[in-house]
Amino acid sequence: MKTATRQRPGTTIVDVTGDIDMGTSPGLRKTLLDSLKRTPRLVVNLREVRYVDSSGIASLVEVLKEARNTEKQLVLFGLNKTVQEVLQLTHLTRIFEIRETEEEALRA
Amino acid sequence: MSCNKENAPELLPAQGASGPLKFQMRMASDPRLLAVVRSTAAELAAVWGFKDEQCRGIALAIDEALSNVIRHAYKNRCDQEIELHCQAHADCLEFIFVDRGESADPAKFCGQPLDEVALGGRGTHLIRQIMDEVCYERLPGRNRLCLKKFLPGARRKV
Repeated sequence: MKTATRQRPGTTIVDVTGDIDMGTSPGLRKTLLDSLKRTPRLVVNLREVRYVDSSGIASLVEVLKEARNTEKQLVLFGLNKTVQEVLQLTHLTRIFEIRETEEEALRA
Repeated sequence: MSCNKENAPELLPAQGASGPLKFQMRMASDPRLLAVVRSTAAELAAVWGFKDEQCRGIALAIDEALSNVIRHAYKNRCDQEIELHCQAHADCLEFIFVDRGESADPAKFCGQPLDEVALGGRGTHLIRQIMDEVCYERLPGRNRLCLKKFLPGARRKV
């Protein structure tokens, strides 16, 4: 799993690539929480994520809780079928702000 | 490297390519191996006739079960041993995990209600959602977890 960070006015975009499992989710969690500290809006691009497990979902939930606690915004976009299936199985599709494209995420 | 087809051994016809398939892995409790195991599980499921979505689900359940062993039984130690026995029966796939770590709380395998903002507890929920049978046993000095996924339309034990 790799991450890359881009800046837009008032927004940080984190591009995530690869598999998110118990071996890689701690790195993702740290990257997202660090990025959230420095921006009012964090947008996470999951288009190149091939796989996510419950530890990856837990990391996203933790970042969402932190965003809510600090009155910031977390938006996810580009979820492929695999990621969508895991969110559905864990009944979490409604708690996240999810958009199809980066443009839509930036407008959210 | 060249490939001389004239000297290549002739492929043998498959002998007895029917009946149950089985293999086993003995692996270190290292999270870097999770990707290897889940892709193997997904391939086995595909060979055995499961659809793509089911193969992804089976791979996820196997990953979650192994992650639980590493995290809870072995307390994140990466140098312990996990055995995974896979068997494809006529009506189902069976995966048996054996570890020699700390025992698990059987109540955790009973499917707890999901708290949407809780950080843990989703792994066993996912396993139960995806697999048709989940059976955990504490044996002398080891844990044994058996997961079964039946082929669509296969008769399940009641």
